[in-house]
Amino acid sequence: MLKKKKRLNLPNLITCIAFFGILIFMAVMTIVLPKQDFLEMENKYAEKLPKFSAKAVFNRTYMNKTENYISDHFAGRIGWIKARTVLETSLGKRERNGIYILDDRLVEKIPEPDYSSVDKAIAAINKFAEGNDIPVFTMIVPTSAEIYADELPENAPSADQKEFINYVYRNLSRSVNTIDVYPVMFSNRDDYIYYRTDHHWTTKGAYLAYAAAGKKMGYDPVPLELFDVEHAGIDFIGTFYSKTLYDGVEKDIMDIYHLNGEYQVTEVAVTSDFGKDPEIYESMYFREYLDKKDKYAAFLGTNVPIVEIKSENSGGKLLIIKDSYAHCYAPFLTQHYSDITLVDMRYINMSLNKVIDVSGYDQILILYNASSFMTDTDIRKLGYGQ
Amino acid sequence: MVFSSLTFLYYFLPIVLIVYIFLPNRIAVPLGKEKSLVIPARNLLILLTGFFFYAWGEPFYVVIMLFSTLIDYTAGRMMDKFDDRPKIRTICLIVSVCMNIGLLAVFKYSDFIFDTVNSVFGTDITNPVILANRAINDIYNFGLSEDKVALPIGISFYTFQSMSYTIDLYLRKIKVQKSFIGFTSYVTLFPQIVAGPIVRYEDVAAEIEDRKVNIGKISEGIAKFSKGLAKKVLLANNIGIIWTEVKAMDYSQISAATAWLGILAFTFQIYFDFSGYSDMAVGLGKMLGFNFPKNFDHPYLSKSVSEFWRRWHITLGTWFREYVYIPLGGNRRGMAKTLRNLLIVWALTGLWHGASWNFVVWGLYYGILIIIERVGFGKILEKLPSAVSMLYTFLITVFGWVLFDTDSMGKAWQFFKAMFGAGGSFADSTAKYIFSSNILIFIICIFASTTIFGKLAAFLRKKKRLIYAYAVPAAVVCVMLLCTSYLVDSSYNPFLYFRF
Repeated sequence: MLKKKKRLNLPNLITCIAFFGILIFMAVMTIVLPKQDFLEMENKYAEKLPKFSAKAVFNRTYMNKTENYISDHFAGRIGWIKARTVLETSLGKRERNGIYILDDRLVEKIPEPDYSSVDKAIAAINKFAEGNDIPVFTMIVPTSAEIYADELPENAPSADQKEFINYVYRNLSRSVNTIDVYPVMFSNRDDYIYYRTDHHWTTKGAYLAYAAAGKKMGYDPVPLELFDVEHAGIDFIGTFYSKTLYDGVEKDIMDIYHLNGEYQVTEVAVTSDFGKDPEIYESMYFREYLDKKDKYAAFLGTNVPIVEIKSENSGGKLLIIKDSYAHCYAPFLTQHYSDITLVDMRYINMSLNKVIDVSGYDQILILYNASSFMTDTDIRKLGYGQ
Repeated sequence: MVFSSLTFLYYFLPIVLIVYIFLPNRIAVPLGKEKSLVIPARNLLILLTGFFFYAWGEPFYVVIMLFSTLIDYTAGRMMDKFDDRPKIRTICLIVSVCMNIGLLAVFKYSDFIFDTVNSVFGTDITNPVILANRAINDIYNFGLSEDKVALPIGISFYTFQSMSYTIDLYLRKIKVQKSFIGFTSYVTLFPQIVAGPIVRYEDVAAEIEDRKVNIGKISEGIAKFSKGLAKKVLLANNIGIIWTEVKAMDYSQISAATAWLGILAFTFQIYFDFSGYSDMAVGLGKMLGFNFPKNFDHPYLSKSVSEFWRRWHITLGTWFREYVYIPLGGNRRGMAKTLRNLLIVWALTGLWHGASWNFVVWGLYYGILIIIERVGFGKILEKLPSAVSMLYTFLITVFGWVLFDTDSMGKAWQFFKAMFGAGGSFADSTAKYIFSSNILIFIICIFASTTIFGKLAAFLRKKKRLIYAYAVPAAVVCVMLLCTSYLVDSSYNPFLYFRF
């Protein structure tokens, strides 16, 4: 008698093989593929494999870090994230990880500012300006989210930066000279003045502000025609791209404006750690960054406490209290000042006078973009020791 | 560990399952002549992996689970041994129940109790558990919480499960579990340990002894698990972001539409998250050869509040009915006693969900509504068109979620006012943006709350067998790929049951 043959259910078998196949394949690939310490596309450091210890287990850091490690090094991580972005945008979602996806650019979703915190920054600037007998200028630059606000998704919440800048300027004391660059940025909005994939302004945007500020700060800006524009960074993808990994926006081009035959920079001194001697460079342009993802760092490098630029010019000395918007702005000023010192308040935890001799400067410029000024808590340190 | 994580999905799950599948239920190790040691291999694996799974999230409090298991196992053995001594049996039961309730009292309710006492009597007594935590930290530096007692994950689930064993054993509904491994594997069974369903010992007693695993069951489990994973990762997480945003807003400033969209988002989030977890648990159970009871049955289609609770977290309702309501006399001792029993059960059901007055009020809210339905309103509901009674029940549930998730009674009240326009406007730009940017996920959630997908599947299964057969693996692959892409970059993947 023939044994009754057990019927194999093919779909069930496929389900099992597909399910376990995906799990095992990805798990093995994650283990065997080479690991990166720095996730360049996302602009962040990857979690390291944690060390096993009783303490790490009991306070759960061991488990949390293991989970982050698996996620950061998961095989095809970038592809998985991109797939999700593509899926969501094709279903009509215009927002991802705090970034709005507009037709031809990415802009930041900026929440309403906490005015009680902003007031502290304003008070510190006022105190600082009154405590030093040197002309103080403040320039708060609107970001692309404001200049292209009309392109945001309908009803999308976004803080009104124009109103915010006016609020700050109204509340700064009379000893602070305010420089309003909103009009010049807005009237040139059809020009390439902000990066499409990054939170910075372009060199052109910085030039426009530089030209507009000349009158108040007392210099004659160099006419645009005199510059040779070098497309130094091609296919630049910035921080907004890193947060969305959205490929639907054209990559950026980063320009360097050269001025031949005029005053040249003699020395760029970069202090990355207090107590150490500054590193000396010959140029304001750190070309090694042009081949990396973070191309904007080609302007005076990454954020450090103090950068000092000396030029052949015999003009005055300028102190800039700044965020990274100043990095592509400062080169223009080398035509008018002999010495420009850029200070990043995030790294200064004492009275500014203890770090540099403020009284040795002829002018002080406080330069921030509106988004970073809204959330900044380090400017208030300007009030220390005043 | 949670199911919706890459660590669980890609490492824990395949390793455990593959070892499990190839392991027999029991292995006999020969020890000399005619003697052999029988190791319940699969149960042992479940026990070990369950401990690992639990300790991954609670490396310290896993001791409490072990302690509770040990007491309940011993109580069971004692009851069995002194089968003809009713007094000893009763003592065993009391010890087990008191120990389980005691663990809940200490680890879940002590802060709540001391806060309440302190605010009523104006005292300033520190919770002794906190003092103990400080003392332990001083010696071992474990980093235990020193201002609030940290709730051990899943404590409300496993204590209730263990109690179902000792109580049923006392009532002679089940047989004793003589194997310590067998009993512990029931408690530490990883699919249901952190978020239910509350599987009573009776439900799985036979399967603990002997169970079969085959391709059919595994693929059925995979399908169920994938369904749950999709509910959690694709629906609940995506719609939950809306509620997280709205919940953090100032309720006196939000428009009515924003408040409604926010709480509707939570209404869907909690359902898809919780029923998603249950589906994943049931699916994983299937893969291991267990049949867990159903926990959700399209609750938002209910036509009365009583019906809602027969379709929402069914295993919890069953537990309270079996072990509280019926022992109290149920509905067989006259109207007054019935009402008392209902109020007790619902206050406790509320409190089970978290140690705060919001949950007590939330439970009583349902208790009172169910009483109202019982004394006559239910009859009226039955006569109404089903659309009306469904809408009524749905709105009741939505209001309930306000009590459930606004953290304090004051906030709940503010939120209710906002829902009726106290924030000033009916619909502001925030509401319009939430609506226009999330309309799709709302629509998907609404359809997924109905039986429409189930009916489609049933139709295909009957009429288009072949399409149905291959649609399952295709859907599983799609879900796995989609969920992975959402989990790799998961900025929002909450675990909602840390207060249960």
